[in-house]
Amino acid sequence: MSVVEIFHIIQHSSLATSFKQADLFFPVVEGTHIIAMSLSVGLILMLDLRLLRVAFQTEPVSRIMSQVMPWALPGFGIMFVTGVVLFLAQAESAYTNGYFRVKILLLTLLGLNAVLFQFKYYPRMAEWDNSESVPMGAKAIAIVSLVFWLGVIVCGRLMAYEL
Amino acid sequence: MSYDSKLIDILRNSHHAIPIIQAFHLFGITLLLGAIIILNFRMLGIGMREIKLSVLAKQVWSWGTAGLLLAIVSGLLVFIPDPARYAANYSFLTKMSLLVIAVLFQYTFYRRVVRAEARAAEPRRHLVVPILSLFLWFGVGWAGRAIAFLG
Repeated sequence: MSVVEIFHIIQHSSLATSFKQADLFFPVVEGTHIIAMSLSVGLILMLDLRLLRVAFQTEPVSRIMSQVMPWALPGFGIMFVTGVVLFLAQAESAYTNGYFRVKILLLTLLGLNAVLFQFKYYPRMAEWDNSESVPMGAKAIAIVSLVFWLGVIVCGRLMAYEL
Repeated sequence: MSYDSKLIDILRNSHHAIPIIQAFHLFGITLLLGAIIILNFRMLGIGMREIKLSVLAKQVWSWGTAGLLLAIVSGLLVFIPDPARYAANYSFLTKMSLLVIAVLFQYTFYRRVVRAEARAAEPRRHLVVPILSLFLWFGVGWAGRAIAFLG
């Protein structure tokens, strides 16, 4: 059985169908998905802006991180759960949609970008935490984060169309 | 008026212009609501407590305002090609009313409360003002989402 066939079965399952037939399914689940973006992406943007030294210049990067992460992570949890539910409700249409594939690719790269920061820059952050300069690599990670998150939003919106 | 109508023609005839502008609208909202969350969580005393309120308010205010301006400009570009559709949409009218109230509240009364709190010797926990601010701005967001769903 191919992946498309599996997603076809999920999309047309009685559970997915009854979800979609509920008037409030898309407003509530999609609305929550979008609104939770301010908690997750919105707070990550502040960290990116700090790494680029255009916001919170007087605060150490580690402080911004420690303040923002306890809220951004549950935000990403809400995004993930509502995102999976939305995907399952329209699994086949989403899987075969080009914009959805680009969105997933960008999200994967954003994950790798965060892992790179965590392992390459976070352990030695104390060396530049309070200083005027942020390593070029860490700045590049912040730019990738800003641009790719914008890309994720564009692809998410364009999913209503065909690539 | 020819310049204006040329812009409207582009917005109406291009398949992807409106959704891409809407994505920038969402990006601006994400920045704005992110700033609103940070400032209000700090006022409520449930987050960002290690950052001084005066620093936080100054930074978050500028970036939140930048997000608001991006959302307003992109929102206008979505609105002008099809004003009649939006004018007849109750969710849109609710969104605009909430937006006016939210902006007035945030930039007058709220701003004064934050300034007083930033100067205060003894920190105080605020409840009504930050919760009202969160409700107003997230109300604008929900009403915006409802434009497509509820009419």
